[in-house]
Amino acid sequence: MPPRINSQISNSMISSSVTPCLFNPSASALLLSSSSSCCSSRFPAFSNPAPSWPSPTGNCRSQRSRRPFSSSFFLQTRLRSRMFEWLNGEGTRLKHHIPGSTNYLTNLKERNASAASEAKSAGDHSADAGGSEEGALSDIGGNRPFPLNPSFVSESILSEELRNEIYDRVVIQKMSVRAVSVELGVDMKRVGAVVRLVELEKRWRKEGKPLALPYARTVHEMIPTTPLHHPPRRQVAHESINDLPVHRLTDPQIFYPVSESRHFTRVDAGRVFSAAPALPHSKKAGITSADPSILTDHVTRHPNQIERVGKGDSEHEVLLPADARIPHPHLIAFERDRLAKPAEYRERMHLYNERLKAEEEAEKERKREAKERLEKRITKIETKDGRFEFRFKDVVVSRETTGSNGRGTTAPGRRYGVPTYDRKKGQVKIPTRVEV
Amino acid sequence: MVVKIRLSRFGNKHSPFYNIVVAQARSARDSKPLEVIGTFNPIPQKPTNLSEEEARKAKLYKEVTLDRSRAKYWLGVGAQPSDRVWRLLSMVGLVEPKLKFTEEKLKVPQ
Repeated sequence: MPPRINSQISNSMISSSVTPCLFNPSASALLLSSSSSCCSSRFPAFSNPAPSWPSPTGNCRSQRSRRPFSSSFFLQTRLRSRMFEWLNGEGTRLKHHIPGSTNYLTNLKERNASAASEAKSAGDHSADAGGSEEGALSDIGGNRPFPLNPSFVSESILSEELRNEIYDRVVIQKMSVRAVSVELGVDMKRVGAVVRLVELEKRWRKEGKPLALPYARTVHEMIPTTPLHHPPRRQVAHESINDLPVHRLTDPQIFYPVSESRHFTRVDAGRVFSAAPALPHSKKAGITSADPSILTDHVTRHPNQIERVGKGDSEHEVLLPADARIPHPHLIAFERDRLAKPAEYRERMHLYNERLKAEEEAEKERKREAKERLEKRITKIETKDGRFEFRFKDVVVSRETTGSNGRGTTAPGRRYGVPTYDRKKGQVKIPTRVEV
Repeated sequence: MVVKIRLSRFGNKHSPFYNIVVAQARSARDSKPLEVIGTFNPIPQKPTNLSEEEARKAKLYKEVTLDRSRAKYWLGVGAQPSDRVWRLLSMVGLVEPKLKFTEEKLKVPQ
């Protein structure tokens, strides 16, 4: 659940956001009167009644002036004592969460008010309890944890049912990740992660490993979740699934003058970003005249045919137009269909399913070919009495791979004269992928 | 001077990794060789992307990469493989496998 904005900001906000609650008048009134609370019994220094001179600011400096010549260590600052006052007074409501609502500081006042009104009208509460339960998570607790940072929204997580449904569709019903992602409104990466994690959970259950179930249940009770809706109701999208990932090549701002007469498209923009020469006019005409969905299909199904620019190690693929880089390019074709044939729902769905199926098959074929190609390069050799198998992979040592100075990265082997920075400060060693 | 096909060690402590190199026999192990023709990772790897059934039976494997045509060329011009490289090259049929000492001994009485 990625927070929408920088968490550093929000951390600094929370520290300042607690303080107003600590310094409200009711808390300071309690400070003087209460002597039987648990905190005062634990911290005897605090239970001394405050002297009569004014200390309106209530910060650490005022505490120093209270005992100017004392060298003994004062156990508790006033701030700390007030914190305990708050925790034992107003803050006790947050100690135990209400199942089905968030436990955030932001809505503490509303919660207190609602609790008070509930206590008053305890009699007629049971009448309308059924209807308002579902989807009430964000309403009751609110989904903004930090009072002074309203931009920070805690996003919902997948509910248990939705999670199990994803696993069921992908693994048992053998639907493609792409189709499941579109139907349930969950990002394809998340679908993959859910499948892997549920698989892991099942394995752990089989092995009899202990699971942190109470923890999981509590978290699901305290955080907004996306519920699973059954057919008559439409499924609510969990997140935006077709976001365009920011490509490294689009980072720089490029000033690129184009004459007015020139037809400058996204394809051209991609070429400018990747420093590729502009397409000749004859080739360009072919690209623009064809149906964009066909072009996109071609590009996504034959990634090896994407043009490459640059020399040696700096060789890279030409940046494709955004239409081809989004996670679900087939949805564009679907939308075009919807605009073209607004009335014919059945035909549209048929086309959509056909397209999905074709894409799936192409993907399967591509994977199979890639695997075959790899296996052709690898010779597996079993030694007679050895414990291990030896896998010989063919590589090429030539002028092209080693480069003119012998340091080319495509040549086999660790390189000479090139320092490894693996012990240097700031090197991230967290693995980016795990083969299971 | 003899040209050898041998291993040169890379990798950190406890994680050996070898380049299969063609080098002058008297040169230091990790000095810059005439040519790097492959690599050898002696740490057994677990095969991945297997079903649970397959994973239980699967053997660990050791990765070797090799440019066979270059190896053949260097053998042709008289480069001498070290014992360990000989064993690797014999697996892909570039040299005759050397028999182990015990096997040779067993053969003698026959």
